[in-house]
Parts: sequence; C-alpha cells; structure tokens
Amino acid sequence: MKRLMKKLGRYTLIAAVLAFVVGMLMPVFYMVMMSFRTGDEIAQDPLGLPSGLFLGNYANALATMDYTRSVINSVGITFSVTVLVALIGSMAAYPLARNTSRFGRAMVMLVALGLATPAFVTITPIYIIFRDLGLLDTYPGIILAFTALNLPLAIFFYVGFIGSIPKDLEEAARLDNCRDWQVFWYVIRPLLGPATATLSLFVMLAVWNDFTYPLLLLSDPDKFTVMIAVYRFVGNHNIEPDLLFPAAVLGSLPLLVIFIFFQRRIVAGVTAGAVK
Amino acid sequence: MQLKITKGMFVIPAVIVLGVFFIYPIGLTFYYSFTDFTGVGEAEFNGLRNYDRFLARPRYIEALKTTFLFTLIVVTVQTSAGLFFAAMLHRLPEIRNFARAALFTPAMMSFVIVGYVWQFIYSPFNGGLNAILEAVGMGGLARGWLGDPDTALMAIAIAHVWMFTGYTTAIFLAGFANIPADIDEAGRLDGASSWQRFRHLELPLLAPSFTINIVLSTIGTLKTFELPFIMTRGGPDGATRTLSLEIIDQLFGNYRFGFASALSIVMLVVVILVAFVQNKYLRSREDAAS
Repeated sequence: MKRLMKKLGRYTLIAAVLAFVVGMLMPVFYMVMMSFRTGDEIAQDPLGLPSGLFLGNYANALATMDYTRSVINSVGITFSVTVLVALIGSMAAYPLARNTSRFGRAMVMLVALGLATPAFVTITPIYIIFRDLGLLDTYPGIILAFTALNLPLAIFFYVGFIGSIPKDLEEAARLDNCRDWQVFWYVIRPLLGPATATLSLFVMLAVWNDFTYPLLLLSDPDKFTVMIAVYRFVGNHNIEPDLLFPAAVLGSLPLLVIFIFFQRRIVAGVTAGAVK
Repeated sequence: MQLKITKGMFVIPAVIVLGVFFIYPIGLTFYYSFTDFTGVGEAEFNGLRNYDRFLARPRYIEALKTTFLFTLIVVTVQTSAGLFFAAMLHRLPEIRNFARAALFTPAMMSFVIVGYVWQFIYSPFNGGLNAILEAVGMGGLARGWLGDPDTALMAIAIAHVWMFTGYTTAIFLAGFANIPADIDEAGRLDGASSWQRFRHLELPLLAPSFTINIVLSTIGTLKTFELPFIMTRGGPDGATRTLSLEIIDQLFGNYRFGFASALSIVMLVVVILVAFVQNKYLRSREDAAS
C-alpha cells in the first residue's frame, strides 16, 4: 500500500512538472494555431482552434514578404559566416593553444570583451567603415561583420579543444618532414569535427536569428535576411494576427526543424559553450 | 627562396578580421564619444560634454535605472524558474530529455518573432492573455499589458524569461549531473527528505552553476534592446526605455553619433563592471561552499 502511494505520488509529480513544461510551450503552440485562422475568426474567438487547414495567411505571407528570397539570403550568409568562423577560428587557435603563456590570457580577455560588448558599441563605427569602404548593403560586408562578431568565441572554443589533442601526433608528422600548415591541415583539422559541429550550430543560431546587424547594414530588400523580412512584413503599428503569425512560423520553421533533429547536440553544445 | 609558412602566421586572418571589425570599432566609438560627430563631415572634439549631458539629464539616469530594474527582474525570475525545473527534472529522469528540449525550444526563436508573438499575446485587441483571463472569470484584470506603464516592463521581462529559461535549466542540469552520486546517496541513507537533500546538499554544490547562469543572464539582459525595441519602443511614457533603446534612438533617430557613442561606452563600462563584481562575489561564494 505504501509503495503504491509512493508510486502514485511520483506520477502526480511527473504530471505536474509536465503541465508546467507544456505551459511553457503554449506560446509556440498558440503561434502555430493562430497562423491557420483568419482575422475574423480570431476576433470572434481569440483562443479557438483553427476551423480547418486554412492556408490563405501563408499564401499571402509567401507572396508579399518574398520569403524564398530571404531564406536563400539567410542560408547563404549563415553558411558563409559559419565556414569562415570555423576556418579562421581554428587556424588562429592552433598556435594559441600551443603557446598558452602570453596569448591564452589575452584571448580569454578578448572573448570576455566580445561577450560583454553590446552590439551598438561596434555597430556605429562598422556602419561608418562600411560606408567608406562601399561595403554597406553587400553580402561580403554583412558576412565579415558577423564573422568578427563570432570569432572570439570560436577561437576560445578551439583553443580549449586543440589543447586536449596530444602533441605526439604532430611530432610524428613533423618527423615525416611535414610543414606547419600540413600538420594543421592533415593532422589537426580532421580531429576538430566534434568541436566544429557544436560551434557551427551555435554560430548558425546566432546569425540566423540576429536582427541588429542586418537591420542596420542592409537596406536593399533583395538582400534582406529572414528576420528582417519578417520585421518589415509585420510592421510595427497595429499588428495584424493574420500577417504576424504565418510570418513568425515561417521565420522560425527552419531552425525549429533543425532543432528537432539535433536537439541533444544543440542543448549539450550550447551548455558546454557556456560552462567553459 | 620559398616563403615558409610558420605556425605564427595562422593568426593573421583572425587578427585582421578582429582588428578591423571589432577592436578598431570599439576604439573608434571611444574616440567619437568625445566628439559631436553626426555621421557626416568632420568630428569636432568636445571634451567630456557628452558624458556631462548623460549625468545632467534625468532622462538618461532614468533609462539606466530601467535597465537595472529590467535586468533584476529577468535574472531573478529566470534563475528561480531554471532552478525549479532543473531540480525537478534531476529527480525525474523519465521526462528529463523531453522536458529539457521542450524548455529550450523558445531559445531557437529570434527576438523579432518572440517579440511579435508576445506583443499579440499582450494585445488589448483579441490578445491571448486577456482571453484567458476572461475565460477563467478574471476579465476584470484584462488590459493592454504593454500600454500600461505599470505592467509594460514586467510583461517584456516575462517574454525574455520565457525565451531563456531552457538555457538556465540546461546549465543547472549540467551542474546537477556533476554532483557525485554518492553524496546524494549518503543523504538518502541518513533519511534526508528530497527537499532536505536539495537545500543542504545540492544547493551549495550548485554554486558554480549559479555563477555561470547569473553572470551570463545579467550580461545578456543588460545589453539587450530587441524586445523593448519591437514590443514597445520604450513606451508607454518611457516605462520601458532602457539605456540600449536610448542609444538606438540617438543613433538612428537623431544621428547624434557622438552622444550615442558616449552612452555606448557608459553601457560597456556598466556591463563589464557588473559582470566583474558579480563574478568575484559569486566565485568567493563557490569557494566558501566547497
């Protein structure tokens, strides 16, 4: 009897905690449900479920906000930044990891500064530098700006990871007369896979969702990222639910799908990044 | 002679990118902060006038206070909620992975989307929150949550907390996982209840997770501008005008680059100072606990 009570208590607890967790998911559920309802339906019953699979909102959003174009832009920018950050970051981290005395501490300081620096401390000068160099409203410009923004964390991350790779491997390669860059490219780089995977997810998340840099550095609608497209489409006054919700779903969908497949890795990676 | 590529040269691309698009801009902002730069033409040096202006006008001190209040609310609620979920999920391995991923989902979304969705939830026109209140017979409380100076800041803080509670939970869960199993076991054998084990064994050992969570969320919240920017633009009556929002307005509303730069430097110093003091205090607490 006592054991039964204990078991019952445990199930009650699980149900209670699950209720809280599901409660936290409600806004996401709400967003999806509302995206299938017309403005009139929402006005009549603000909490109701969709009466059917009404796709008119999506058709309207897709036609007006140039979603496909913005997804292509976002994918291109995010991909380029991720590759550049991983490449430049791991290259810089290699000598730093092997020479911790002087640079190690400087790097930690730089990362701390990078994390603490509000976007607008760098954004104004970047705006001016870009204007003078003709990089405003260009893909290379926004890619470089994002690369710089994410580079300190990447270097920090790789320094820690490379530091844990035994030196014997490199020394063996050196005995075979490998040059430094060959050691890096053929010995070190292939071992960085797990670190790169985690870092890439992190950078991808940051770049895809960022709002500040593209808002200020891009003005040509053909170059808008998804978030800017959503922002412009919904507008800032009197937001209309039949515009807002489909745009919100379309904007979040790519990352939510990726999250469903890689959730363990993403949660573990982001947590590891923070704990380090 | 062939040019030899040495290991040291691998840092060159990083030095260039960081130098031109990170370090140099910070230096430039520092320089602008002592000028009357407007974005075009020459920047005229005007000494400490921008900083004087910041200290002399109550408007900016108010903005700093709003920033601190917002951060205090977010950090307190988020840390408490994260700790609650982590302590529960640590005890309930059956649902741990599902719940951790579910709680993390909002962090996958952009500030833009979180801002808009919550703006509608709080809306006085068919918004979700008012509809729920009506449904449970508390319609008297219904209002335009973002339009009321008494509730606007809190409403934005809740949206912010909602977004990042999963993050805090995941970090606390990692902390729980680091607690040696025999410590909890010993407590259990001594007949300590679940609550007693949490309060006297786990809580002290979670000190490092507290440090990470509090410092990270404080830094992130102090410098954030996205949610207030999207949800209220600082209104109503300046109730949600944080320092970061003030900077954006000075920059792209008024083109007062010099003054905005000074505000940015103030912000940077505040963030670094707060993070430094917190880190020092929380780490000494960690040492005391171990």
